[in-house]
Amino acid sequence: MEIRPRFIIGAGLIILAIGYLIGNAMRTTSEYYLTVNEVAGRQGELGGQAIRVAGRVKPGTVEWEPSTLTLKFEIMPIPDVDAGTATLKPVVATDPVSFRVIAAGEPKPDMFAPGRDVIVEGTLGAGGIITATQVMTSCASKYKPKQSQ
Amino acid sequence: MTELGNLALAIALLLAVYSIVANIYGARRNAPDFVASARHAIWSMCAMVTIAVVVLWVALLRSDFSLEYVAAYSSTTLPTGYKITALWGGQQGSLLFWTWLLAIFTSIAAFQNRRRNPEIAPYALAVLAGVAIFFLLMLNFVTRPFDLLAVAPAEGSDLNPLLQNYWMAIHPPSLYTGYVSASVPFAFGAAALITGKLDDGWIRSTRRWAIFSWLFLTLGNLFGARWAYEVLGWGGYWAWDPVENAAFMPWLVMTAYLHSVMIQERKDMLKVWNLALIGLTFGLTLFGTFITRSGVISSVHSFTQSGLGPYFLSFLIAVVLAYTALLIFRSGQLRGPAQMESYLSREAAFLFNNLMLVGIAFAVFWGTVFPVLSEAVRGVKITVGPPFFNRVNAPLALGLVLLMGIGPLIAWRRTTAGNLVRSFAAPVAFGVATGIVAAAAGLRQWYVLTAFSLVAFVMGTVLAEFRRGMNARRHMVAERRATALVNLVAKNNRRYGGYVIHVGVIAAFVGIVGSSFFRTEVKKSVHEGDSFTIGSYTLRFLGLAEAENAHLASATARVEVLGPDGREITMMSPAKILFKTQQQPATQVAIRSTPASDLYLVLAGFDDTGQNVTFEVFLTPLVFWLWAGGLLMVLGTVIAMWPNVRERAAIATVLSRSPAGTGELADVGAPGGD
Repeated sequence: MEIRPRFIIGAGLIILAIGYLIGNAMRTTSEYYLTVNEVAGRQGELGGQAIRVAGRVKPGTVEWEPSTLTLKFEIMPIPDVDAGTATLKPVVATDPVSFRVIAAGEPKPDMFAPGRDVIVEGTLGAGGIITATQVMTSCASKYKPKQSQ
Repeated sequence: MTELGNLALAIALLLAVYSIVANIYGARRNAPDFVASARHAIWSMCAMVTIAVVVLWVALLRSDFSLEYVAAYSSTTLPTGYKITALWGGQQGSLLFWTWLLAIFTSIAAFQNRRRNPEIAPYALAVLAGVAIFFLLMLNFVTRPFDLLAVAPAEGSDLNPLLQNYWMAIHPPSLYTGYVSASVPFAFGAAALITGKLDDGWIRSTRRWAIFSWLFLTLGNLFGARWAYEVLGWGGYWAWDPVENAAFMPWLVMTAYLHSVMIQERKDMLKVWNLALIGLTFGLTLFGTFITRSGVISSVHSFTQSGLGPYFLSFLIAVVLAYTALLIFRSGQLRGPAQMESYLSREAAFLFNNLMLVGIAFAVFWGTVFPVLSEAVRGVKITVGPPFFNRVNAPLALGLVLLMGIGPLIAWRRTTAGNLVRSFAAPVAFGVATGIVAAAAGLRQWYVLTAFSLVAFVMGTVLAEFRRGMNARRHMVAERRATALVNLVAKNNRRYGGYVIHVGVIAAFVGIVGSSFFRTEVKKSVHEGDSFTIGSYTLRFLGLAEAENAHLASATARVEVLGPDGREITMMSPAKILFKTQQQPATQVAIRSTPASDLYLVLAGFDDTGQNVTFEVFLTPLVFWLWAGGLLMVLGTVIAMWPNVRERAAIATVLSRSPAGTGELADVGAPGGD
């Protein structure tokens, strides 16, 4: 295949344009994707920034107000998964780190429940409250609950 | 029973290994007996995998919870249809299903090539068997579908409620079919590289496979989008989630491939590029599987996440390295004498279309893997959301639409100014006029105006093409309009099928633009008997009805929909369902779809009395056209794939002449160059 120089110029211009679009979009749309512990570690520098936080819904903290579509809960770190056997390490009963999340104006996701893993998109405000624009549930395919033990 | 499944998978693995050895030995020593024996091994392998699939299906249907897989993905109360689809509802089953498709397609390819392509077919089948070996190794040693539980539970954990939906029943098989059938053209491309038979024989032999794969990738993406639209209840259909991107990227590259092979068939150019594209497509299908199963890139729906990631990544890297090495090794033989002459030529239009498609695929890839890259380089995960993908791809989509109008009309090699004016004056005028009308109607966003103008321009070019072809026929053979149209399409099905696909893409584009720019949303808490409005509709909440059976419980809101004149148009019934086994709620959206707009009603919440409920309502203009466009794309693909009498005759002639025919069979639907 031979392509003459002027086509290489044309193709190069298109590639440059695509590169520019990607670079430009990166600058304006990227946001931190953090775990709850990372948010705790960088709380000072994150104030007011758009962040994505992955964590677990802390049981006993969920409040849902259907008339205003307001969901409040606390998000805590996801316990480390022992990679080899995929069994969970015991959760420490009093986990010190957690952030309060307030999500208003969106229906509660179907898969949302205490103890489930969620991804929260929003901004970290004063007092460690995350005002969420979106709460997404990550849904495992497998439910291995209540197996007789 | 389960021993039978394990045994069948073990034998299948041995047969796959044998077929590679026999194929390569037979091809190298010119021993047709061995090639035939390899073919029989492939068919036997297919039979063995089929047995394994049947065994798992029987276990699912009989709710045999001694099998770990059945206990994890089914239950006694699961409806029979979903017990069948549970085959691909989980990790091991979906890999088995994948392997089954691969075995079937490999068998068909073996049958098709039992007399054709004696030089490259044995190697292509060996490559396919090599892919099958990877999957069979997984099934035999890593993620075994027939593992038993020590104690069989009385009840299974049930299939994920989100998957208990008919779109989800057909979405994975479509996507897998698209993924897996892409390995056939890939295998023939690899075989061409291995053997050095680098003419376009491998492309012609697998043209229908490539279109078939594209069709099912299209369907898979559309079904997935439709599923998201109907089930997830957020009013949209595409969120640029890694799993969605994984399905979209091979589609993009396969689309580029289907266009660029036409240049090789006609002009003997872009050989390396075509081989690279098909290799990339295949690599992306593996990459997609890797993403969805490794958990390396966090997705909102990792349905089949597991520890398979490293295996897939290793296989992917091995394939990419081997294929790249082959390409470099043969690069000297891949240079053609042909040259591209002018920007004003179809070759140039196709080249730029290819760059755009691959550029979009690259942008999607970049956005998908960026969190991993940034973590590796900077130690912190940075993610880009849907705005990134929209911002990059929206302008590129405009470029593609523009080229879609130019490409089919512009002549090969070069076009004169006079030709350009003659071909494009009317469509351009139509496009500009549409833009002016849209602006006069009050549309102000520059993107929407440009998009609608370009859409009209492309429609104009397609209509002009149909009209020109019909007139030519009517002129030559004096047919009536309808007859001329049917004959035109039937005799040039590849070309006119392509146009129908283009119209489908355009329609889908209109749907995407309309739904992205004009969607409105209302959230409202209402008491029984209250009403509220969205757009020109008035919605009145009449009451909540509860129902229950063994499998699920439901709460259904009855909503009366009134038109602008206050008359009732329809009743809608959004609902919340509770799946009992898993105590898992699921939203059932109510949708009223018209070509102008979709009314999309979600029951977002209700109180204990059932008298106060909260609705989330979306009014989404034009989204209907996304699905209609999808249907047109399918129709056009079927037309393009339809067996063509002229083509068959041409192939027969070439085959009777010489085994390595390089004859010009391409005129099938090749644009009548004037």
